[in-house]
Amino acid sequence: MKENELVEILRGCAARKLPELDGLLGILRTTEGAAPYVFHHCEELAGLVLSPRYPLGGIVRVLQARYPKARLGVVVRACDLRGLVELAKRGQVAPDRLYLLAVACTPEEAQHCRCQRPVPNPTGWPQVEVLGSPAAAAEAHPLLVQNERLGLAERWAFWRQEFAKCIKCYGCRNICPECFCQACALEDPLWVERGILAPPFPTFHLVRAMHMASRCVGCRQCELSCPAHIPLTVLYELLRRDVAEMFGYQAGEDLSAQPPLSLSLTEETTPLPNP
Amino acid sequence: MDYRNILTVCPYCGAGCGLYLQMLDGEMVGVLPAKEHPVSQGKLCIKGWNAAAFLRHPDRLPRPLIRQGERFQEASWEEALRLVAEQFRRISSRYGPEALGFLASAKCTNEENYLMQKLARAGFKTNNVDHCARLCHAPTVAGLAAAFGSGAMTNSTPEFSQHTRCFLITGSNTTEGHPLIASHILKAKQQGAKLIVIDPRQVQIGRLADIYLCPQPGTDVAWLNGLMYVIITEGLADQQFIQTRTEGFDQLWEVVQQYPPDRVAQITGIPAAQLQTAARMYAQNKPAAIIYAMGITQHTTGTDNVKCIANLAMLTGNLGIAGAGVNPLRGQNNVQGACDMGALPNVYPAYQPVSAPEVKAKLEAAWQVEGLPEQIGLTVVEMIHAAGQGNLRAMYIMAENPLLSDPDIHDARQCLEQLEFLVVQDIFLSETAQLADVVLPGAAWAEKDGTFTATDRRIQRVRKALPPPGEAKADWEIICLLAQRLGLRGFDFAGPAQIMEEVARLAPSYGGVSYERLDREGFLQWPVPSPDHPGTPYLHKEKFTRGLGRFLPVHFQEAAELPDEEYPFILTTGRSIFQFHTGTMTRRSPKLEQEAPEPYIEIHPEDASRLGLKMPGKVRVISRRGQIELTTRFTEQIRPGVVFIPFHYAEAAANALTQAALDPVAKIPEYKVCAVRVEPIGQS
Amino acid sequence: MGEPFEPRIVAFLCNWCSYTGADNAGIARMKSPPEVLPIRVMCSGRVSPEMILRCFRAGADGVLVLGCHIGDCHYISGNHRTAKRIPLVQRLLSYVGINPERLRLDWVSSAEAPKFVQITNEFVQTIRSLGPIRQELGLPRMGGGR
Repeated sequence: MKENELVEILRGCAARKLPELDGLLGILRTTEGAAPYVFHHCEELAGLVLSPRYPLGGIVRVLQARYPKARLGVVVRACDLRGLVELAKRGQVAPDRLYLLAVACTPEEAQHCRCQRPVPNPTGWPQVEVLGSPAAAAEAHPLLVQNERLGLAERWAFWRQEFAKCIKCYGCRNICPECFCQACALEDPLWVERGILAPPFPTFHLVRAMHMASRCVGCRQCELSCPAHIPLTVLYELLRRDVAEMFGYQAGEDLSAQPPLSLSLTEETTPLPNP
Repeated sequence: MDYRNILTVCPYCGAGCGLYLQMLDGEMVGVLPAKEHPVSQGKLCIKGWNAAAFLRHPDRLPRPLIRQGERFQEASWEEALRLVAEQFRRISSRYGPEALGFLASAKCTNEENYLMQKLARAGFKTNNVDHCARLCHAPTVAGLAAAFGSGAMTNSTPEFSQHTRCFLITGSNTTEGHPLIASHILKAKQQGAKLIVIDPRQVQIGRLADIYLCPQPGTDVAWLNGLMYVIITEGLADQQFIQTRTEGFDQLWEVVQQYPPDRVAQITGIPAAQLQTAARMYAQNKPAAIIYAMGITQHTTGTDNVKCIANLAMLTGNLGIAGAGVNPLRGQNNVQGACDMGALPNVYPAYQPVSAPEVKAKLEAAWQVEGLPEQIGLTVVEMIHAAGQGNLRAMYIMAENPLLSDPDIHDARQCLEQLEFLVVQDIFLSETAQLADVVLPGAAWAEKDGTFTATDRRIQRVRKALPPPGEAKADWEIICLLAQRLGLRGFDFAGPAQIMEEVARLAPSYGGVSYERLDREGFLQWPVPSPDHPGTPYLHKEKFTRGLGRFLPVHFQEAAELPDEEYPFILTTGRSIFQFHTGTMTRRSPKLEQEAPEPYIEIHPEDASRLGLKMPGKVRVISRRGQIELTTRFTEQIRPGVVFIPFHYAEAAANALTQAALDPVAKIPEYKVCAVRVEPIGQS
Repeated sequence: MGEPFEPRIVAFLCNWCSYTGADNAGIARMKSPPEVLPIRVMCSGRVSPEMILRCFRAGADGVLVLGCHIGDCHYISGNHRTAKRIPLVQRLLSYVGINPERLRLDWVSSAEAPKFVQITNEFVQTIRSLGPIRQELGLPRMGGGR
């Protein structure tokens, strides 16, 4: 199915559902551009589109915090859905008041994102409607294969050069649908020295990678928002495979599965204490 | 549940990144990068992500302030504007229009800058209007206008990742100063483009370079001539381009032939072989882009440096094609626009000279005034000196903070204190505003509509997301209210869109700009002379603005102040990615301030151990003009004998040390070289 | 070159078992390696990836985490987390090219003083054979500080 056909189907579903909802979060395209928006009226749906992708999990969190009783609809891709699943497990969103219109990505999109899981998996989610036809998983990032082949010294040479480009914008964290801590370890001078470019020893990136280990849902937003073009998702994907292999856990696939490890004893749902 | 996103432009550097302000029920809840923006492409630097952090800071000025002795008293707009109007009229009629000075602002919109220069010229008949471009790229405007006929960045940021095969970056700490432009360079590098960095500090981009060269500060003309020597003698010059598109090559060779690599090595400290490798790399990988910033311009030889860069690009035919060119990176969100709007003492909007009779006649007719001044006005630094000498009696400063940004600030303060009347229009009570007689509270970038012009001549809309705090008003509105109170005609605008209509009528290169087009097309790159013109991604395509490109040979001259026994170090100043300029906004943004909360000096470990310094430790840095105290930071990324201080910090202002020695043409101060002494304090 | 390599090793020891084990080794006059800097934590589960990375950042050539045997945790399941987490940190280190052998996890009860001595000696040997981390990674030597 082509993207424009899919958008038409989506608009139809949205129009049917909208009267039952207090709002529908999706992407609105106007003459000025395309960005997340909460639709209230069917007339507005002519502007509802599927791309560019913006991370919606964080916005849902903000909206539900302000309007805890509202029935909110969300247009999601497979990765957005996975993101909401992980957020729900950590008490950040309330699934019973979220109605999801989950759209499967087209084969081209899946290819473009190198997505391994382009089809929404609604297992355990209370209210969800899946649109579009399933696309096959794309081939993995070539760097994933390459990294496995390299020896330690070559890996270090590669990653050292990549990390040396970091301008510490925190964009990877800011855009991440799964990053919601009030106090972030990356800003804690105990772990990452402040004010130095690039962050010297790669604690910045390794701490973040560990925090992503059982959480990363592979939406690639971090990589897309990295001004230095660091292939962050390669690291996160390697760890995701490990978590799957060691603990049989796939982030975002099943609402009832519990995350197998917590990264520090201060749980994700409570802010880290200030040192 | 009203959730929407408002597309606007980042208020920090000149890259012109697009971002969305997330609004929930009229309240700002966050920033999102604009995925489809041609420059930022869904990415932002730390300042962009935190661009909205200071908007609701408690220090924001909600109401006008009028000085009562040592203190400020809140006042109504009525009182404040009446006082300003009375004083300006009194001083103007008593001492003449030349006793008034106006500083426009690279932080404000095009529309506001246009109105400011219109107020000065049409309202008070003076060309004493300038802004901080004087302190950054005045040599660029002067040098490139002489060589090409246009003083702007020749190419566009997105071309760097699409076309460029070699970068020569000098005097630009690109990843810190213009992070999202660096993003395009890093992308190109990933795709195989070559990267040459020539800078006295091995800044981050220098550490990522294929070739990094480390010259002595203030020797740029020498190594630039040296590169040209190698290119010419090795037959790497673009003969066809030289013959068909340029003039003055023979005169260039006469000068350049005196700079063989061995001599250049003596002057600059760059080994001859490295200079040759760099020259070959630049000449043999076309299109090649030269990228530079304050490290080139902030010298007494700033204009000379820029001319040399223009020569080098012409010599290799790197002009008039995508991905090449001479690319000065402008430091402020709208410094390009403030220049375009004629907030300069010698030109009207779109660089139409004030001295040209036909231009004068055109503007007199358009503005319905008579007797527009033909004499070129005073520049920023000259205005401050004139204030000190009593020739300038009143100043109107809009959103600038010269008391931290100008060279030799102790002297600047004494000068400004001599003024009879000082009006400062700002969002915070800046160091300069604290000296004012009247402070007018302006609106910040997210609180008004308008346009900014990014460094690559990219005109973009900024949109109002929030109301200003308290009774604060948009700067354009304040100027209009003041002008109306002065009884001036031509200031009754309904809004910025209408002001832009007037700009489009009077400024030929903005002729095709309208809000309707900007909303629809996202951006326009000038020159865009008519409504059906698509805009200009790169300049000088088939012919230079002035016809033929002109080689302007220059000889090396030493910096104004060199180290000696008493002041043995060269001090150079610059930016940190986490702060911006005088810090009025960034130091009130918690996530930025926490990264770099205190002033520091970068010094080579060899120098440090010779002086017995510790890290962390405190030092006193002393120049002939002042002294400051700050924390040490040792780094091997700076030459021994050179020290670096970021200029953001009022508590240890680097500009207490710098000197007001000026480039003779562009009148820019030499921020990048002065002599200092470093002493440890508080150590046993 | 020239200077002999004196490894710097941080050992995080669980208060309830490994630390007591180390203590007992001392009481019994067993010789344990001086290169190891012990840090007592209330549970091996307290040792976060940040703490391990911080040790490497601060110049440690190796990090040793010792906890109670599975089933003996004073907090019931604290060391379960350790058991899952440390192998993941080791893999991450290896993915970016840092030798995962520089991080070791083991279980030592309070009754296992000889095992404590044996593990620490082994680890010192491992790190000696790997050499200084900053040299391996081509990082400048730590200046100032400790």
